[in-house]
Amino acid sequence: MSWLPQIGRISIAIVQHLGAAGKFLPNVLPGIVVVYKRPKLLIQQLYSLGVMTVLIVVVAGLFVGMMLGFQGYHTLVDFGAESSLGLAVALFLTKELGPVLTALLFAGRAGSAMTAEIGLMRMTQQLDAMKMMGVDPMIHIVAPRFFAVIFAMPLLAALFSVVGLGGGYIVAAGLLNVDPGSYWAAMQMGVDVYEDVWGGILKSVVFGFVVSWISAFEGYYALPSANGISTATTRAVVTASLSVLGFDYLLTAIMF
Amino acid sequence: MTQKGIETSVGIFILLGLVAIIWLVLKVGNWSPNSSSTYEVTAYFDNVAGLSVKAPVTLAGVKIGHVASIGIDSEDYSARVVLHILDSYNNLPVDSGAAILTSGLLGAQYVGIDPGAEETYLVHGGQIDITQSAMVLENLIGQILIRTAEGTNQ
Amino acid sequence: MVRVTDLSFGYHGRAVYRGLDLQIARGDVTAIMGPSGCGKSTLLALMGGLLMAQSGNVYFDEMDLGDRSKRQLYHLRKRMGMMFQNNALFNDLDVFENVAFPVRQNTNLPEKLIRSLVLIKLHMVGLRGTARLMPKELSGGMARRVALARALALDPQLVMYDEPFTGLDPISKDIVAKLIRELNDALGMTSIVVTQDVTEGMLVADRVIIFSNGSVVDDGRPEDISGSEKWQVREFLDGKSEGAVEFHYPAKDYLEDLFGID
Repeated sequence: MSWLPQIGRISIAIVQHLGAAGKFLPNVLPGIVVVYKRPKLLIQQLYSLGVMTVLIVVVAGLFVGMMLGFQGYHTLVDFGAESSLGLAVALFLTKELGPVLTALLFAGRAGSAMTAEIGLMRMTQQLDAMKMMGVDPMIHIVAPRFFAVIFAMPLLAALFSVVGLGGGYIVAAGLLNVDPGSYWAAMQMGVDVYEDVWGGILKSVVFGFVVSWISAFEGYYALPSANGISTATTRAVVTASLSVLGFDYLLTAIMF
Repeated sequence: MTQKGIETSVGIFILLGLVAIIWLVLKVGNWSPNSSSTYEVTAYFDNVAGLSVKAPVTLAGVKIGHVASIGIDSEDYSARVVLHILDSYNNLPVDSGAAILTSGLLGAQYVGIDPGAEETYLVHGGQIDITQSAMVLENLIGQILIRTAEGTNQ
Repeated sequence: MVRVTDLSFGYHGRAVYRGLDLQIARGDVTAIMGPSGCGKSTLLALMGGLLMAQSGNVYFDEMDLGDRSKRQLYHLRKRMGMMFQNNALFNDLDVFENVAFPVRQNTNLPEKLIRSLVLIKLHMVGLRGTARLMPKELSGGMARRVALARALALDPQLVMYDEPFTGLDPISKDIVAKLIRELNDALGMTSIVVTQDVTEGMLVADRVIIFSNGSVVDDGRPEDISGSEKWQVREFLDGKSEGAVEFHYPAKDYLEDLFGID
């Protein structure tokens, strides 16, 4: 019967972890005042978290768009509906793949870096040193990163979608002889600006919130050792990615 | 990277991101400021087949609105389709007709408006009387078969 | 300056302190010495409010740290400086900005004044010339001195040094020891030095407290301590490995453990 206490122990650990994450958030949110007063802190983080992620997002967006062009065409052409290709690609990108894939790429590229950075600061006592100088690291270190991610995510997701639409267009018009005019026309006819475009942007804001929350939390409470930081980084990427997919389902169910 | 370089690249990043969002909204979503307000017109069809809510309403191939809801009229069991038409197209004659059409042979269905000749126009809460139901492929094939059968009999 | 009464603290159920009483006098350099693992760094963290006592109280300038709100605690810490075991310099800021950081964060002084203030602190530790170097370009001894300058940036009333001599060569050790002594007297501060380095600790302190197993075993002037007859003190000072500081961590019987006899 050794598995019974095991289950209990794991459940307690999970609940404790969730509780700590919940308590973490109200400590970070007041940091928005400092971020507003000293935009330099935010700009620095927008650079290292946002700008440095643009390339990977653009490249991924291009390939995903091209892939959608091919797959969409081969599916639609059987029904003689290849003129709707633009619509299919646009809906996939703006509603789903743009926000979701951007958030997943972000969690892997920038979220993990954020966890490792904050974890390392904890390990080398930089966070404690800050506290001793009368500076709250939640406000000064965590908050600028947190808000930078929430701000950067919809911009990155929009870039992903636009580049992806371009990639789909290249494949459709350049390789598959789909009428270029109908590619755009079908898109404009079928895409709903509130539900699809704004809905996608809203999704990416929520994903930004989730990813930065998890990444910052895991880094801040990483055990102060090399092993602790690597565990925290792995856990941040896994938890953030799964949460993004979970929230995607939830939001899709609520919104559409 | 100098502070100035960082600030410049962040500026470019934000600008690009905003342009991307605006492009999605205006070009892909085809959003125009006056498109938000619509007026409501009802049409009754014998059969709407595969028509769905949000399907476009077109006039001469141009999208002028969308299907808001589809229901059943409790008296004569016909399908009641509510159309939301953009305010900018408020000059549709009252004797206009509505037809459920299909884009391509098996494509999605939409409502096509065929303008009439009257001087008075449809207003909010108005009704389109002349309607043409969806073409149901099975019925069509059935009819063709019957006609061919009749043809051979004669 | 600092008063600890009936303090208890432990990690994961393993008690580090049980009912500790301690008092640090204003103006003194107090060395807290003891074998590693006896909770010296924990004591500093408790005094700085980084950890909270599980029972008992820690008073700083007669104010109970346990009663303070988060805001008050941060405010209080501006009057304390702490130098950490591994310096804890911010690696993405250069030496100048590291020292300027606490000043910038806590005051609205004009840039010119901050510059002079930082250069004065750096000059005190003899490193004005390194202002534009990054922390990774410094030697261990220099980094330690930069950390010292940063701990002093806000002119604190109390400075806490966590193992200031570890990992330094004899010359750097001596420099740091001299700095601690001189700065304490020149700036009228109170200093607490936590160390396991007997020679330097004795050299720098007005008063020495010897810790063993989470409680105070001896307390007095360096001369008295070096002549102390208490066996725990002798053992620590003379570096004997057989005695009260158990070589074996508590465990069940050796033979039982090896052969699994229950």
